[in-house]
Amino acid sequence: MKDPYETLGVDRTASEAAIRSAYRKLAKRHHPDLNPGKPEAADAFKDIANAYALLSDADKRARFDRGEIDASGAEVAPERPFYRDFNDAARHARYGAGPEFDPDDLESLFGHAFRDQFSRGSAMRGADAHYTLTVDFLDAANGAVRRLTLPDGRTLDVTIPAGHRDGQVLRLKGQGMPGIGGGPPGDALIAVAVRPHKLFRRDGNDIVLELPVTLQEAVLGAKVEVPTIKGPVSLRIPAKSTTGKRLMLRGRGIVGGHQYVDLKVMTPTQDEPELAAFLEGWKPRHRFNPRGGLP
Amino acid sequence: MMRLDAVVALFPDLDAVELSAWIERRWVRPDQASGNGWVFTEIDIARVRLVRDLRHEMDIAEDTIPLVLALMDQVYDLRRTLAAMARAIEDQPPDIRDAVLAALRRG
Repeated sequence: MKDPYETLGVDRTASEAAIRSAYRKLAKRHHPDLNPGKPEAADAFKDIANAYALLSDADKRARFDRGEIDASGAEVAPERPFYRDFNDAARHARYGAGPEFDPDDLESLFGHAFRDQFSRGSAMRGADAHYTLTVDFLDAANGAVRRLTLPDGRTLDVTIPAGHRDGQVLRLKGQGMPGIGGGPPGDALIAVAVRPHKLFRRDGNDIVLELPVTLQEAVLGAKVEVPTIKGPVSLRIPAKSTTGKRLMLRGRGIVGGHQYVDLKVMTPTQDEPELAAFLEGWKPRHRFNPRGGLP
Repeated sequence: MMRLDAVVALFPDLDAVELSAWIERRWVRPDQASGNGWVFTEIDIARVRLVRDLRHEMDIAEDTIPLVLALMDQVYDLRRTLAAMARAIEDQPPDIRDAVLAALRRG
């Protein structure tokens, strides 16, 4: 049994406050729950708790100083379970910091570590090579093959799968650095960026397009031609449509997604005396206040 | 399974008011009892013991406790993820397992 003064690192004349402060410092460092990976922390913490139990009790401390009891005689810290003993998935779920098991997190933690391991030292496999490539929105949406010229003059045909997302990395097996000592070559990792489109916006696998329509088309309805990622299609605008109305072109998005068409009514900006005269005499049949919802 | 007053009775320096405040702040998360009040499982009691250590033994300020617990919970999550990872490696055929372990040692 170690000398309790030694355990806490204080001298025999230390004040109560100094002992308490030394104990707190050590408890913070050695508490088993704060050291889940160090089994020995439990013993260290027990020694510290025992030493403090003895020295914080003025009566016991005096008897120990007089040699009436030894350090072990005052061993009071009972065996106790620690929080860290419950760190299995089922029981710990309620105190988890995030989702129970996040494979993405695992990949971001280990992806790099593992790739680096393989390309270092006397590893037989060649290193992975990293390249970047920018493709047009429609190429990413529909899929395409793009040629990449490498710094060493080689060319790589990169197949962009339909629905490729901005920044997604493609891996071309065996197209990286050559292997060492007869080992296999590394992979080429190509980060493919996607240029934004001036009309189409992407929302998952859906495409969103804002479509300007005339006043007549909005009020009376019309059949208009609308661009999609696979070319123009005809769309029926129902009568009494207004700005913000969303129409769906089923299956016209990316790999099974839809295209949504958000209407935007454009009123004439030139002089239209007939329209103005009509509106002056026009009494709407239905009360309509487009600003009704504003404060 | 224990009720709140039974848990309080385990600790001479803890009262129901303080423990209730911890529950309110979600430091401890027992289950709601079917009537009313709380039911503590063994991990909840271990959690109480931990928070008590932090507050009463280590004298960590009340407004620092959420920081400590949040960091701790992240460490425990990571350790569980690592354990799952280790089990997954364990289940691999010996040559894959050895390759992974060798690569880890080189790191």
